[in-house]
Amino acid sequence: MVETRNPVVSVKGLTKSYGATSVLKGVDFSVARGEIHALLGGNGAGKSTMIRIITGSASKGDGDISFFDPSGAPRTDAEGRARVAVVHQELALLPHLSVAENITLPHYRRGFAAVKKRLSIEKAFEALAMIDPEFAARSLHRLVEDLSLHEGQMVEIARALSSGAELILLDEPTANLTAAETSRLFSVLRRLTRETGLSVVFVSHRMKEIRQIADVCTIIRDGRTIVDRLALSELSDVAIIEKMGQVAASHSASSAAVDRNGMKGEPLSIREADLEITLSPGTILGVAGAPAGPATLISALVGAAQAKRWTVSRAGWPERFASPRRAAAAGAGFVTGDRTHKGILHSLPIIDNVLASRRVVRGATFISGRERLECVDLLQALSVKAASIWDLPATLSGGTQQKLLLARWLGLPSSLLVLEEPTRGVDIRTKKEIYQLIRQMASTGTIIVWWSTENAELLEVCDRIVAFDTEGCASGIIERQDMSEDRLAELTGMAT
Amino acid sequence: MIPTSTEEARAVEPSPQATRNRDSLLSAYRTEIAIAVAMVILGLAVGSQVPQALSWGNFSNITQAGAPLIIMSLGVLLVVITGGIDLSVGSVFSLTGMVTAQVMASGFGGITSSLAGLAVGLLFGSINGFLVTVAGLAPFVVTLITFAVAGSLAFIVTNGRSMPIPDPDYWLLNAGSIVPGMPNYILFCVVLLVAIEIFLKKVVAGRWFYAVGSSAAAAYLLGIPVKRTKFFAYVASSLLSSFSGLLTISYILNAESTAGASLMLQAIAAVVIGGASLLGGTGTAVGAVLGALMITVIQNGVNLIGINSFWQGSVTGLAILIAVLIDRFGKARRSAG
Repeated sequence: MVETRNPVVSVKGLTKSYGATSVLKGVDFSVARGEIHALLGGNGAGKSTMIRIITGSASKGDGDISFFDPSGAPRTDAEGRARVAVVHQELALLPHLSVAENITLPHYRRGFAAVKKRLSIEKAFEALAMIDPEFAARSLHRLVEDLSLHEGQMVEIARALSSGAELILLDEPTANLTAAETSRLFSVLRRLTRETGLSVVFVSHRMKEIRQIADVCTIIRDGRTIVDRLALSELSDVAIIEKMGQVAASHSASSAAVDRNGMKGEPLSIREADLEITLSPGTILGVAGAPAGPATLISALVGAAQAKRWTVSRAGWPERFASPRRAAAAGAGFVTGDRTHKGILHSLPIIDNVLASRRVVRGATFISGRERLECVDLLQALSVKAASIWDLPATLSGGTQQKLLLARWLGLPSSLLVLEEPTRGVDIRTKKEIYQLIRQMASTGTIIVWWSTENAELLEVCDRIVAFDTEGCASGIIERQDMSEDRLAELTGMAT
Repeated sequence: MIPTSTEEARAVEPSPQATRNRDSLLSAYRTEIAIAVAMVILGLAVGSQVPQALSWGNFSNITQAGAPLIIMSLGVLLVVITGGIDLSVGSVFSLTGMVTAQVMASGFGGITSSLAGLAVGLLFGSINGFLVTVAGLAPFVVTLITFAVAGSLAFIVTNGRSMPIPDPDYWLLNAGSIVPGMPNYILFCVVLLVAIEIFLKKVVAGRWFYAVGSSAAAAYLLGIPVKRTKFFAYVASSLLSSFSGLLTISYILNAESTAGASLMLQAIAAVVIGGASLLGGTGTAVGAVLGALMITVIQNGVNLIGINSFWQGSVTGLAILIAVLIDRFGKARRSAG
């Protein structure tokens, strides 16, 4: 255990229950001044709950939270919390306000004070420019409702950076960022911790990033602290995964083992200017790079918007789908990357969420009694543990909700499945399970097109990868045998 | 604290484009300018049929008839920006008039009676605010309840009789003008418009209204006092419709239990015509005032041209439709370009 010298916050024996479910069962956690601290644990381990309690947006059960000032003297909770900034996993953005106002409005504590507009704009620009100067110059006055998910993520981070906080809690901040933005964020965080004594708590499921950025780690599992402040250098990846209770059952089947002979179905060909990709049934095509380029390809494939850039052709398919509904009916499935806003139907129970696509594809008029069994089977196949299929999705963790989205297409005879970041915010074990599912769907002849900002997972699972550079242009195709991290980083313009 | 001169920040100075995007007055009030233009065109169209429509006397009629709606619309706007709705404003308007007249009839002076009337607004605003924020009920349901209750109380106060105002020198309107040459109702409208517009644009608490309406969940996570903001909006809305009720009885010199019955829908219409979204997060005071004026101009025009006044509702409906379509069309084009 690394001793906490000069702590900013210290949590002891924290508990928290929601009704009969106890989420935290006695967590210890402390952060020293000027350190970057990785907070690790599987989905549902209690990380986000603890963060909410530290910031005061959830109440605590038992236990103590103490805040300290730079001299080591205790602070009141209110004083301490005023110096904590959070980047929430589910973005806390105000869509009708401008980017600048989203960054600076929360910093005002008193309501009856004048808004200092010029100062606000300068502060917002400065913070945003630390992560992406070009985006900052272009977008300060745009409304947040017009931003993409990853731009929204940058606004969130800029807000935390500009808050003047002594402790920043980042709950999976890189889930929506490209590699270039991530590396810029990391260098900013490192510099600030060094120069200003800022403390950072970093939650992520990406092992490589954790190693890049963090000094010490705390591992939480089932609401208890398993590892309390250990230097990351003392733990191997395997040890960390084991401590998190994330050892996956089996994931030996590599995609190379998929036997494509005898798979029925028409190939799919995608064309853009001088680039042509022909995908035979069962192929897993990875799409890498900043969101701008992949987004055009994805919308062309699923009929979500009028993307004229790409030509998609397949025997029996129209040149372009008029709507996602038509695409689904023709056997082209789509799992959105914006789970919260465009994926989960929050007010409907699990069963309706799982069966949503099936109902569209089958065009059934009445809801049959067999659906219930089908839903239970699907949940079992995905090892989703839900108390009841009539519960709301909110009762499940983020990773489990992601599985519900995949379940929509599992077992349907679709010829194409387009996935946007299916492993966002998902823990290591669930990730492995999702890879397994993707392979499984491919093995039935479904063509998979899979966009991810995590290059490592594309390299692990895909047969081919099409890369886009930062300008949104397709920069090359890599075949399985030529795949390497360096090659992919180079093509996506993110070589560091 | 984050140091201000950082390598990254120094690398790129604020580009001229960032400065150019800075909302000029013209683009900030795009919707409002469009309504104003539409209103002028409408006025000229009516004037071409009935020349007296463009007379000074008619302008004065329009402003006098429109003042109560303008003030009420400003209140409704505050609630709508936070993502709520206030259906009780018309009933509060009526009840305020009845209570004020009744208190006055019992021998109290103008000021005391007016304060009693405003107390109605404060009470119902607090009830609305309490039920929406603390009890967590839906604004539509809460204000539907207070709409019904205040509406029935307006009859109960005098057993349904209308009440004459016994004090002819009632201070609000008839006792001269506070600013020489300007009728008081215009003064009230202008002062409230300017105060609310400045509050919404330049005061932190005003920006909180938009933040709460934009996403209450996000605003809560960001430490913005969501409940306090909503509560304040309902109290302000009720108080403004109360004030509007006072203003009305002060020049009609008569309080009716049904006086505000048609005003609630008109106020919501005014806010929508003015560019606010009923989903919250958008809207300006200038827009709401112009929306209220637009509705008044339509009613006035229908009267002057001599169309059966039963058509008023249909014409107003058409105006709302056109306003909303223009807004939507404009937005679609903006995001496409």
